[in-house]
Amino acid sequence: MNLEMLMQDPALWGLGIATLAFAMLAVSVKNLVHAVLWLGMSLLGTAALFAKFDASFLAAIQVLLYVGGVVVLLIFGVMLTREHDNLAAFRTTRRPVRAALVAIALFVGLVHAILNTPGLGDPSAGKLVSMPDLGMSLLGPYAFAFEVLSLLLLAAMVGAVVLARKRDPGQPSAKKLIRHRNLGRQVVEGLAATDEVGQ
Amino acid sequence: MSPLLMAALATLGIPAGLTLLFGVLPMLRRTGKPAAILSILGATSVLGIAGWLFATWLGNPTEVIQQSTAWLVQAGRPLGEVGVRLDGISVSMLLVVAVVAWCVQVFSLGYLSDEPPNGLGRYFTYQSLFLFSMNLLVLAPDLMQLFIGWELVGATSYLLIGFWYPKPAAAKAAIKAFVVTKFADSGLILGLLVLAAQTGSFAWDAPLGTGVAEVVAGLLFVAVMGKSAQFPLHIWLPDAMQGPTPVSALLHAATMVAAGVYLIVRADPIFAAATHVREFMTQLGAFTALFAAIVATVQTDIKKVLAYSTCSQLGYMISGLGAGSLLGGYFHLTTHAFFKALLFLAAGAVIHAVHSNEFEDMGGLWKKLKFVAIAFVFGSLSLAGVPGLAGFYSKDLILEAVHESGDHFALAALLLTAGLTAFYMTRAVVKTFLGQMSHAAEHAHGPGPSMSLPLLVLLVPTIALGWAAQPFATLFGKPYEFHMGTVGYAAIGLGLGGIALGYLVYGVGALGFLPRLFAPLGKLARSSLMDELWQSVYEIGGQTPSRAAAWIDRYVVDGLMNFLGWLTIVAGQQLRKLQTGDVQDYLYAVFGAAALLALFGGWR
Amino acid sequence: MIAILLIASALFCAGVFGLLTQKHAIGVMIAIEVMINAANLVLVGLGQHKGAAVGQSFALFTIAIAVAEVVVGLAIVLLLYRSRGDVQVDEAREMRQ
Repeated sequence: MNLEMLMQDPALWGLGIATLAFAMLAVSVKNLVHAVLWLGMSLLGTAALFAKFDASFLAAIQVLLYVGGVVVLLIFGVMLTREHDNLAAFRTTRRPVRAALVAIALFVGLVHAILNTPGLGDPSAGKLVSMPDLGMSLLGPYAFAFEVLSLLLLAAMVGAVVLARKRDPGQPSAKKLIRHRNLGRQVVEGLAATDEVGQ
Repeated sequence: MSPLLMAALATLGIPAGLTLLFGVLPMLRRTGKPAAILSILGATSVLGIAGWLFATWLGNPTEVIQQSTAWLVQAGRPLGEVGVRLDGISVSMLLVVAVVAWCVQVFSLGYLSDEPPNGLGRYFTYQSLFLFSMNLLVLAPDLMQLFIGWELVGATSYLLIGFWYPKPAAAKAAIKAFVVTKFADSGLILGLLVLAAQTGSFAWDAPLGTGVAEVVAGLLFVAVMGKSAQFPLHIWLPDAMQGPTPVSALLHAATMVAAGVYLIVRADPIFAAATHVREFMTQLGAFTALFAAIVATVQTDIKKVLAYSTCSQLGYMISGLGAGSLLGGYFHLTTHAFFKALLFLAAGAVIHAVHSNEFEDMGGLWKKLKFVAIAFVFGSLSLAGVPGLAGFYSKDLILEAVHESGDHFALAALLLTAGLTAFYMTRAVVKTFLGQMSHAAEHAHGPGPSMSLPLLVLLVPTIALGWAAQPFATLFGKPYEFHMGTVGYAAIGLGLGGIALGYLVYGVGALGFLPRLFAPLGKLARSSLMDELWQSVYEIGGQTPSRAAAWIDRYVVDGLMNFLGWLTIVAGQQLRKLQTGDVQDYLYAVFGAAALLALFGGWR
Repeated sequence: MIAILLIASALFCAGVFGLLTQKHAIGVMIAIEVMINAANLVLVGLGQHKGAAVGQSFALFTIAIAVAEVVVGLAIVLLLYRSRGDVQVDEAREMRQ
């Protein structure tokens, strides 16, 4: 099964259009919680597309990380920053016509670019990347990037903790904290605090 | 290097070294008298060297020694040549300068004995500087170095006229002299530039086309008009009399003002080709001679009489040079240097005695200042052209030359001037030494030895130089044969007539209508008419372009700058509106640009 | 192949639209997720088309980075909420001057 065949596949188009529709809903519905849920749907659609490309590992990761992690996180965010009981009331869009014009212009531009780029219509290499190939790639040529990424995730977690820490009246602000020389100690304390939360 | 060259360099180096010494050692300068003695010793050695050089050249008149080195070489081409040129002309001029400078320095010792030591030291510093500058000018191998010396003597003239600078009149006179001569010197610069552009050098003997020669000579003559006080640029010279009298003798009678004449003599190859300029020189010189002589007849200040007389005699020289008699102009320069220096120094002795420049404070001084009177009278007779004295021979040469050139107006003016010269000098002699003694004159005291000696020294060439015309002419490389023509007799007659008339009018008191006849003429000439004329020339010619330039600067140049500033501010204010601080506004720009790139980015 | 690119472009532009219109900071983050997703789709699609593992590898990295971004972004949103009392991005224009 190769991509040329997929092109003919109405399932691909169906999935794609569904994903697109979910995404559009996600960025336009009034209710923020609904929007996050529509985003989840869109991400699931993408995962299905991945599966359709035989990239099953990516599809699984997509579901686990995005749908399971990001969406939940976003919902938490919505809950935490709620200022009115009615979530729909404060989520309004601004300048939709102008934004739509720019988006359509960009889309037209991209389509123009895609159609005018030579080689895109070439037949597929006929070889699909399997999960073992991906594993070899990640631990082979991209091992370093892979490890750096884990560091990045750690840094993101630490940073998020430092930023989002609730300030006690006597404690220095986040800004001052970052400037503080004993940043490392603060981070450790922050991690300890998260541990407590986790327990 | 030959000893002659060494000697020539020493005439430059000694005064220059003394100036530097006084300049960097204020302790020495402020001692006054020792500094003066040192300066006089320097002048004495320069005099000795100049005398030796002169004697050498008398033995071998046609020799020319020129040693020069390229100066400020750029792109393989020197700006000019600096060095010394020794020939009959420069050596004799060097001797004239050295003699007069020595006399003046010795005289100054007595004349300025009342000066504080500080001032005396300053005075002799300037004197040494002047001697150096003048020698630099005289020994110049090309017009470039001559120009440097020319400007240096101008600067020294400024310093010496303004020697008594606390006196406002002196300070103003110094500035006036400086400004007027600098204005004229622009002609010299332009002339040099034209010369250099045409020939690639500043040599005065490079071949020039007639047209170029006329232009260069005309421009050089403008500078000469300023330096040698020719009408209408003579206005600074009478005012320059504010300086100490020995200074007037040295700079404004004998040497510096003669630099213009010297320039014409040096640059003769250029002037010889410029017939129109020479015609103009003849006429202008004659007019200046007559004009200044008329003004001199009504002056009440003894120094002013001599100043206008100097103008008048310089006019003679210019006229003679214009008529083509190099020897006449140059010989008159020489004799005039001596007798006019003598007259000025004698006048200085009189002024020193009565503490005033005005005739009304003099009179009857014959009894008190016998030697001074003799010196002054001989100077006057020489100036008046009495046969046998130096002035007669040189004046005769000029008159003959102008007669030969066929310029009747100039000849008539010069002959009339000869008579007037005799007349006003007689007037000066009578008013100073004869008649009733004034109150100030009764307390007059005789000059000391340092003042008498220079008079004695100068008296010799005043009387005898005319007899040395023959060897002088050989130095010049020109044949000389003395003969008396109609013009000569006319000049003698007019001179003697002028003396007689002067004595009749001022000594006896007859013919009282004559002074009254001259009075309005003189008043007209003496008034500030010329100054006002120059003022209006300055206002029209100088200030109008300046105002126009100021207007352009204020409204066009500044306006442009202000507009640019305004544009920057306004553009900044407009651009600032783009910085809304709203993230999404920036995102519009990002994605808009991305869309445009995708659409028109050229995907081929 | 081109179909994948076209779908991804459309997804991306939907994200752009959201990014430009959302007033709520979390809405903005949703839009960004949509855009990242579109990019992932292109990476995976092209990787499979060319038979290169690099596409999926980078898609994986992108997902990880997106998660990190969401974490930090949410922390920032929280901070914004605490310091300003709301999370309306069009109100937060202190950078103006």
